[in-house]
Amino acid sequence: MSFKNIRREDASRAVIVHGILLTYTLVALYPIFLVVINAFKTRKAIFRDPMGFPNAETFSLEGFTKVLAKSNFEVFFYNSFTVTVITIAIVLLLAAMAAWALSEYKFPGNTVLALYLAIGIMVPIRLGSVSILNLIVDLGLINTLTALVLVYVAQGLPLAIFILTEFMHQIPKDLKEAARCDGVGEFKIFFAVILPLIRPAVATVAVFTMIPIWNDLWFPLILAPGDGKQTITLGVQQFIGQYVTDWNAVLASLSLAIIPILILYLIFSRQLIRGLTSGAVK
Amino acid sequence: MAHSGPMTDWRKARLPVIAFLAPATIIYTLFMIYPLVDSIRLSFYATPSGGEAAFVGLDNYRTVLADPDWAATFWNSFWNNMKFFAVHMLIQNPIGIALAGILSLPRLRFRNSYRTMMIMPTMLSVVIVGFIWQLILSPVWGVGADLLDIIGLKSLFGPWLGKEGSALITLSFISVWQWVGIPLMLIYAALLAIPDDLVDAAVVDGATHFEVFWHIKLPLVFPTVAMVSILTFVGNFNAFDLIYAVKGALAGPNFATDIMGTLFYRTFFGYQLQLGNPHLGATVASLMFLIILAGVLFYLFAVQRRLSRYQL
Amino acid sequence: MADLKLDQIHKSYGAVDVLHGIDLDVKDGEFVVFVGPSGCGKSTLLRIIAGLEDITSGDLMIDGDLVNTKSPRDRGIAMVFQSYALYPHMTVYKNMAFGLKLDKQDKAAIDARVREAARILQLDQLLDRRPSELSGGQRQRVAIGRAIVRQPKVFLFDEPLSNLDAALRVQTRLEIAKLHQELKSTIVYVTHDQVEAMTLADKIVVMNGGNVEQVGSPMQLYHHPQTRFVAGFIGSPAMNFTNVRIDKVEPGKVTVSIPGGTPSVLPFDVDQNELGKQVELGIRPEHLSLGDGGELTVHGEVDVVEKLGDSTYLYLKLANGDHVTVRAPGHSRVKIGETVTASASAGAAHLFNGNGKAFAKVDCPAEYSADE
Repeated sequence: MSFKNIRREDASRAVIVHGILLTYTLVALYPIFLVVINAFKTRKAIFRDPMGFPNAETFSLEGFTKVLAKSNFEVFFYNSFTVTVITIAIVLLLAAMAAWALSEYKFPGNTVLALYLAIGIMVPIRLGSVSILNLIVDLGLINTLTALVLVYVAQGLPLAIFILTEFMHQIPKDLKEAARCDGVGEFKIFFAVILPLIRPAVATVAVFTMIPIWNDLWFPLILAPGDGKQTITLGVQQFIGQYVTDWNAVLASLSLAIIPILILYLIFSRQLIRGLTSGAVK
Repeated sequence: MAHSGPMTDWRKARLPVIAFLAPATIIYTLFMIYPLVDSIRLSFYATPSGGEAAFVGLDNYRTVLADPDWAATFWNSFWNNMKFFAVHMLIQNPIGIALAGILSLPRLRFRNSYRTMMIMPTMLSVVIVGFIWQLILSPVWGVGADLLDIIGLKSLFGPWLGKEGSALITLSFISVWQWVGIPLMLIYAALLAIPDDLVDAAVVDGATHFEVFWHIKLPLVFPTVAMVSILTFVGNFNAFDLIYAVKGALAGPNFATDIMGTLFYRTFFGYQLQLGNPHLGATVASLMFLIILAGVLFYLFAVQRRLSRYQL
Repeated sequence: MADLKLDQIHKSYGAVDVLHGIDLDVKDGEFVVFVGPSGCGKSTLLRIIAGLEDITSGDLMIDGDLVNTKSPRDRGIAMVFQSYALYPHMTVYKNMAFGLKLDKQDKAAIDARVREAARILQLDQLLDRRPSELSGGQRQRVAIGRAIVRQPKVFLFDEPLSNLDAALRVQTRLEIAKLHQELKSTIVYVTHDQVEAMTLADKIVVMNGGNVEQVGSPMQLYHHPQTRFVAGFIGSPAMNFTNVRIDKVEPGKVTVSIPGGTPSVLPFDVDQNELGKQVELGIRPEHLSLGDGGELTVHGEVDVVEKLGDSTYLYLKLANGDHVTVRAPGHSRVKIGETVTASASAGAAHLFNGNGKAFAKVDCPAEYSADE
C-alpha cells in the first residue's frame, strides 16, 4: 500500500486501540506470569527481585521438590483428571441422547420436560448441598470420586442438553429421513447417524462442562475432603493453608495448578470460541 | 427460534424415546432437583439435641432473619453480597462490553491473540486466582507496591485485603479481574453476529467507530447484555470459593467479606466452636434460592419480555 | 451533484490483486452502471468509492477533491446496500434521520428532509414501523430514502434489486429510473444483471477479472462491443459465436467460411497477416432470421424449441458442433429435428481475433449502429 493512502486518523486510532488492548492483556496475564516465574527462583530472589526472570544464580526448583515431597500432587491430579474425564463422557452421552429425543420426537410434555431440564442452567446446584450430602451419605459414597461424578453430571447436564438441542435442530431433516426410509432403527439412527454429526458442538459442551468441574472447591470440600480423594483445587487449597509461610512451596503449588490448565486452554481455545460464535450458545 | 419443533411422532418409537430420556432425567432429578426441593423441606424442620427431626414451620426463617444473634450476620452477608454484585455490574460488565466492542472493530490485527490472552484468567480456578492475588497484594512480598511504583502510585498501597474497609472491595476487584472473560466472550460472540453491511451502512451514514458501537451495535446486543447481567447475578449470589480461599470460612476481618455463600457454609458445617446445623443451613440455602429466583424471574418477565431480539 | 474521476485505481488484498488499474470519468448527473460476473471487482470498486475499502494505489476524485484518505462521511456519498442494511432497532423515520442526526443538524431541518424523502418514496404511512414490519419492496424504498435525505453528491447502489422477486424488481427498476430523472443526481450502480444495466444506465462499465472491458452507452455496448466478453455479456439471449477461418482479405472486406454455411463477405478492416487464421464470428439471435435472405447463412438441425409467445427461440446444432440460437417469430412452426437455414445481414456480424478483440466494422448500417 502506498503511504499516502493511509488515513492519518486510522493510524492514530490503531495506536490507541492496540494500546488499550495491550494494557488489558498485561493486566490479565502479568499476575499469572509473576507467580509462575517466581516459582522457579530461590527464596531470596523471590523477595529481592520479584519481577526479574530466574537466571543462573536465582534459578531453583526447591519449591517444586518440597511440594512433591510433602503432598500428593500426582494423586490430586489423578483425581481431578478422573472425575473430569468421566463426567464429561457421561454428560456428553446422556445429554446427546436426551437432546435428540427432545428435538426429534413429538410426545406429550416435550416442552415441559425441556423447561424442567433447563432449570439447572439458572439455579445453582450448590443450594441443594445439605440434601446432597445426606443422599451421598445414605448411598455410602462419602469421600469417593463417584460422589463427585454423580453431582457433576447432574450439574453439567442442563446446559449440555440445551446447547445440543439447539444444535440438533440444525441437522438437516433429509439425513434422518433417508435413514428411516432405509429401515434403520431409531437407536441405530442416533448412534450411527446423529452422534457423529454433533462433533462440532462436542468441544463447546466439553469445555463448558469441564471448567467449572476442574476448578470447583465446594463439592470436593463437602463430599470428598478426605485423604487421597482431594481434587487439585482442594489439594492446593489445603496445602497452601498448611505451608502458608513457605513462599517457594506456595508459588510452586500454584504453578503446578496453573500450567496444565493454561496448556489445555491454549490447545482448545479455538474450539471454545468457535463454538461460542457459531451460535451454539445464545 | 426458527426451527419448526420436533417432527417425528413418538408412538412409532416409544422405547427408544424413553431410553434416550430416562438416564439424563433420572440423574438430574435425583442429584439436582430432589436435593433442591428436599433442602427447602428441611428448612421447615429442626432437630432438638438428641431428638428426632420435627416440623417447626417458619421458625428457622424467623431465627435467621430476626433473631438478634443471626439477623445481623445474615443481613451483613446479604448487603456485602449486593456490594459484590454491584462492583461486577459497574466494573466487570462495562469493561467486558468495551473490550468486546474494541475486539470487534473491523480489520483489527491480532484479534484472536488478544482475545485468547484476555480470557485466560477466566479459565483458572477461583481458588488459584484468590491465592495469586493474595500473594501479589501481600505487604510481606511487596510486589504489589513495586507494581504501583511503576505508575507512580506507590503511596496508595496498603494491606487492602486485611482492612475491614477495603477487604470486600478488593476481593470484588479480584473477582472482576477473573470473570471479565465471560461478558467479553458472550458479547463478542453477539457482536460478531451483526452483519457487516449494517456497520458499513452506519459508517457511510457518517458514524465514527464509537458512534457505530453506541448507536448500532450496543442496542442490537442488548439482549445478550441482559443475559450477562443475570448470569452475573446468579454467579455472585452463589459465590464462595474466592472468599473461602483468601479469608477462610470466617470471611474476615470481622465478617467484612462475608457473603451468602460463606454464611451458608458456616451455618451448614459450623466453625470453630459452633456446630453446624443442617436445618439452618438449608434455611440459608433456601433464602439464597429465593433471592436468585427473584432475580431470574425479574429477568424473565420484566427484562427479557421487553427486549426484542432483532432478526439480523 | 458532482462528477467522479477514477485514475489508475489498484486494489490488492495481500498478494491478491483484485483491481488492476481502473480509469473512469463519471459526469455530473450521470447514471453509471458497473456490470460484470460475480468476482469481477465491481463491488470492491463501489466500496472503494464509498470509502469502505482503502485504495492500494491510484487516485479517486469526487467533485474535484482528492478523497483517497477521506472517511465516507467526508466524501458526500450515500449508499444503498444489497441487503438494505436497515437498522433493525430503529423505526423507518429514525433509519432515515440517523445520518442527519450524527451530522448534528437541527430537528426541524431533519424532519423536513425525512418527510420530503418519505413523500417521494411513498413511505409517509410507514414512518413509525420497524424494518421487520415491512415488505421487501418497502425496505428497499427505506434504504433509498436513507440515501436521499443525506442529499449526497453521489449515490452508490450495490445490487439493490437482487433480493426482490421478479415483478417487484421491474417495478423498482422503473422507480429508480424515475428518481434519477427527478433528482438529476450522479449515480453509480452495481449489478450483475445486464438487463438492469441496459435499462437504467447512461453509461455502462463492463468489468471482468478486475479490469474494465469497455465503457459506453447501452447502445454502444450492444452494437459495438469491443471485446468478445462484452459481446457475450450484453444482450439476451447471448450472442452466438462460432469459429471461422479467414479465407480472403481485401480493403474493408473479409471473406470467411462458416462451417455448414456458405463463404460470406463481411465489412471488416482486417490486417493481411490474419489471412488463414481462425477467428470468432459473433451474431445475435435477434439478427438471424429463417430462410436465406441475408449474406450470412447457417444450416443446422433444431435441437430445442422454446416458445415465448411473441417469439420462438430455436437452438440449432451446426456441422462443427457449435450451437446457434435463432429468434424466430412467435408463430413459427419449426419442429425439433428439422434442418433449417437461418441468415443475417453481413452488417450484423461481429468478428473477434484470437485475443477476443473486435475487428473494426466499416460502413455499419444504421440499424446495427448506436449512432443517432
